[in-house]
Order: sequence, then structure tokens, then C-alpha cells
Amino acid sequence: MSDTSTAGSRSANRPPVWKSLLKVLPFILLTAFMLLGGGASSDPRQLVPLILTFVLISVLFFRMVHTGRTDRYRAIFFITMAFCFVLTFIANLIEVRGSMALTHEDMATGQTPFCHMVIPMTIIPAAFTRTIIFPGSILDGFANIATMFALWIGVTLALGRGFCSWGCFFGGLEDGFSRLRRKPLLRKIGHHWTYLPYAVLGAMVLLSAWTLSPSYCEWLCPFKAVTEFEAVTSTRVLIQTIMFGSLFVGLVVALPILTRRRTQCGLFCPMGAFQSFSNKINAFDIRIDREKCTDCGQCIRVCPTFSLDARSVADGKTRLSCTKCGKCVDACPRGAISFHVKGTPVGHKPARARMLFLYPAFLFLVVFGTGMIQGALYRIVLLVTTGSLIQ
Amino acid sequence: MIEGFLLGLSTGTSCLAFCAPILLPYFVAEAHSHRRNLGELGLFLLGRLAGYLIFAAAAWTVGWLLLQPSAGREILFGAARLVLALLLIAYGFGLFHLKCAAEGTAPRWRRLGQRLGMPLPLWLGLLTGLSLCPPFLLALTETAQAPSLGHSLLFFLAFFLGTSLFLLPLPLAGVVRRIDVLRPVARLTAGVIGVYYLYLGLVMITEGGIHS
Repeated sequence: MSDTSTAGSRSANRPPVWKSLLKVLPFILLTAFMLLGGGASSDPRQLVPLILTFVLISVLFFRMVHTGRTDRYRAIFFITMAFCFVLTFIANLIEVRGSMALTHEDMATGQTPFCHMVIPMTIIPAAFTRTIIFPGSILDGFANIATMFALWIGVTLALGRGFCSWGCFFGGLEDGFSRLRRKPLLRKIGHHWTYLPYAVLGAMVLLSAWTLSPSYCEWLCPFKAVTEFEAVTSTRVLIQTIMFGSLFVGLVVALPILTRRRTQCGLFCPMGAFQSFSNKINAFDIRIDREKCTDCGQCIRVCPTFSLDARSVADGKTRLSCTKCGKCVDACPRGAISFHVKGTPVGHKPARARMLFLYPAFLFLVVFGTGMIQGALYRIVLLVTTGSLIQ
Repeated sequence: MIEGFLLGLSTGTSCLAFCAPILLPYFVAEAHSHRRNLGELGLFLLGRLAGYLIFAAAAWTVGWLLLQPSAGREILFGAARLVLALLLIAYGFGLFHLKCAAEGTAPRWRRLGQRLGMPLPLWLGLLTGLSLCPPFLLALTETAQAPSLGHSLLFFLAFFLGTSLFLLPLPLAGVVRRIDVLRPVARLTAGVIGVYYLYLGLVMITEGGIHS
């Protein structure tokens, strides 16, 4: 069956608009409550971003529910969120500190916003020394350690590694770059490279415990290139800067464009590897109905995180690293792949299982992304009205 | 000491992935009770510890006698670290393959062990303890710089403890059924650790150059 006929059958199976509206209504009301919780500002420069964000969220969720396509609309939000995060974060840094570079004073006073990527590296030192090896604040300020940990635990319980496609505000960058070309230039990537994230995780957890510093953040995190980094004041920091800069260009920009895959997430990210284990305890997974599957391999070709291979397809499930982005579900020409609630028969009421997953997943996307999108739109309005991104 | 333990932990997966296949058939073939298997593992680990300590003492002596008085000592050690880190990276990213020391030499050396009247697990342990795999060589560069023989022996004792944690489940042979999955992870972890040592080597050479 061709893609066209799949699209045709999908549009034939669409529920009536009123039914879809009814399904998204509670969510839209919740979003409105979240956005207006503190009351709407009368300043049009803040009101316009708020309205635009609300419309974007509502339209995307409605389209997701109504069309039955998950990845297409998830990706729009996810990618927008990531690029908006970068814009908002950099603008905030420049506004507060005057630069993206961190000084020793900033670190000593715990002014570094905590990032989820460092979570696996903090566990062993926290257990042995009762300290968090990160120069951030436990309770105070923007992105403090306690809030980020609480959010991460919530997402992990609700989505497992789905966090990487529905919550991680870095993943959208490479997701965006991976969609720039229609066809990949690099197709063959050795299977053994998919184990590299586990190796990076093991090495970084041990190095962090050894040096009592967040080694991954210091050395390898590619996203420092678009957030904040240590000011170059020594050879050591220069080497670190070259390393993370190269990793950003290679893994987040170049390789995703060449392969149409999320290479940082699938081949490098230690947080992703750590998060993979939570798929074992999470209630949702992606399953393949072997009776419908024709082994065409389309799902293997489109999976952005290398989470499907011939062996896993034959077993009717994804590999442990699945981020539940829904791309394979959208791409399967036979509709053999579906979201699934563990403990229920495969292919049993897949639409209901999908909705059960979508509510918490989209909610987390909104929780993480709303402020970022609103913030970025505000900066753009500021640029248009005052000629500057910062106040 | 903690450095040695963590280096052992970080490279211990390699010991499990590459030495376990040699040891497992022994445990399975002998098919003893778990208690007796644990005893044999104890002998194996004792042999391995002996091999490690012999190496630690030898490395420290070489470092002390030949390199300690040298003006360019830091550059020399940095260069050694650099070369060994590159070796570890090449090994980690699959550019060459290594066998467990007890595997390649087993038939000939086993006969020697029998002639010496040593229990087989103890002999196998000593052979694996004397192996020259890249993680082990990297640990050697650490001990060669140790301030005293005691420090050197302690470092290797800690390194031994770190790597041994991975070998403890061996008597319960079923635990390592998924060794095919563990192998690439173990190799790649060694490669990533190699990248870190590459950096340490570079810094050491740079600083040594500045000081001299």
C-alpha cells in the first residue's frame, strides 16, 4: 500500500470534528488556565505572544487528535520549543550577565541554571558526599535543582524515554536539522554505534564521581554552544570549548542533516541512555502487530533514534531506546504500529491507547514549551518594536 | 586510591566482556555447586591480584629508577599516557581486537601451571592478571608516577577491586547471558575513557613543556 493510499485511508477514518473538539476541550481549558494563571498582562507586547502561543498549542493538539498523526504535529511544537528556548535563554543571559560566558564568580555563587542532562552524573556523588556536584541553586532562581529534578521524575514516570521527544528542549534542535533534507545522504551507520550512549553514560558517571564535578557538562555537552559556557581563561577551557563546539556542529547540525536522524540523541546522549532504562517501568510502549506487518522496513528507515532494527521488528517491539515520537506509527503503510498500554493485547483499541499517552505527553510538552515559545515571541515583538532583543 | 578504584570500575566491563567467556566454560564444565564455584572464583581473583601486584611493583621500580631523576619526566609520562590513550581509543572504537591473556596462551601455559602444581583457577587468574590490555597499561602509567611503592601497590589493589566487582557474578553463570550486548558497550566505554586520558596526556605534556 502506498503512502498516498495510507493518507487516504487515514482521512477516511477521521472522527467527526465535534468529537475531536470534545476530546481536546479539557486540554485547551487546562492550557488556558496555565497561561492565564497569573492573569493576562495589559501590555500588548506580552499579550500578543500569549495569544499566539495559546492558538499554536490548541491548533496543534486538535490536528494531532483529529488527523491521527502524532509525529507531524509533535515535531512542529518540539522544534519550535527548542529554537525558542535558545533564543529566550541567550537573550536572558545577555540581559542579566551581559554575556553567554560563565565566570568563576557565577559558578561560586550557584547562579548556573540546572539542566536535566547532568542528572545521571549527580547521583553517585550525591549518594556518597550528600552534595549536588553542580554550581546551581537547590531552591532559588530560574531552573533550580529541586524543580528540575521534580519535573524530571514526573516525566520519567509518565513517559519513560518519551521525555526525549516530548520534554527535552534540546532534542528539537537536531529534530529540526534532521528534517531539512528530503533524503539522507548517509544511510549506513554501524549498529554498534547505537551502544555509544551507554558507554558515554558509564564513562561520564564514573568520571564525575572520580573528579566530583559534572564531567559531561564540562567536556562534552554540545548544547553549551547555544546556552552558556565557561569563559575561556586557560588551555583547559580552550580545549573544552573546541570539544563541545565540534560536537555541536557534528552531532546536532551536520550529521542530522546528512542522515535525517537525531544523531546526538541516538548515538551520543548519556541522559538518553539513562532515560532508556525508564522505558522498562513506564506504562506505555510502541508495539508492532506482527499479523499486519509486511516487513517492508519503512519504520526502521524513518526511526530518528535508531530504535528499530530487523530483530526488534521481528519481535514486534522497539528497542529500549525508543522515544515514543510516533514517527514509525505515522509512517507504517499498514497501520501495524501503534501506541500500546503494557499488559493489554497488541493492537487492542490502539486509538484509545494513543489518547491515553497523548494527554500526559502533550501536557509535558506544553509545561516545558509554553514559557519558551511565549518568551521567544516576546523577544521578537521587542525586536520589531524597539530594534533590540534585550531590554 | 579512589582514582584506581574508579579506573577499575570504568574498565571492568572490558574484563567481564572479554575474560568472562574464557572463565565461564570452566565454571559450567566443572558444574560445581555455587559454594564451590565461589571458592574457585576466590582462587582466580587471588591469582589475578598477584599478577596485578607484580606488575605494580615492576612499573613503579622502572618509573623510579629510570624516570624519576629525569628533567623531562612530565613530558615523558605525558607522552606515554598519550600513546596508551590512543591505543585505548583504537581498541575502544574497534580498530583492533584483543584476546584475553588466558585465552591465546591457554594450552601451553596451562600445561606449565599443571607442572607447577598450581590449581587451575589460581593459574588462570595469574595469567589474566599479567595481561597487557589497554586499560591495564593505562593503569600502569599511573603507578609508574606514584611517590612510593606502597602508593603504587595500593593503586593497583584499588584497580583490582574495581574490576573484580564485574567478575563476582560469574559463578552464577546465567547472569552474563547477554554478553553480546555488553561487549560493544564495554569496548566503547574504554574508548571514551581513552579520550579523557588523551586530554590528560596533552595537558601533562603542555604543562611539562612550560615548566621545563
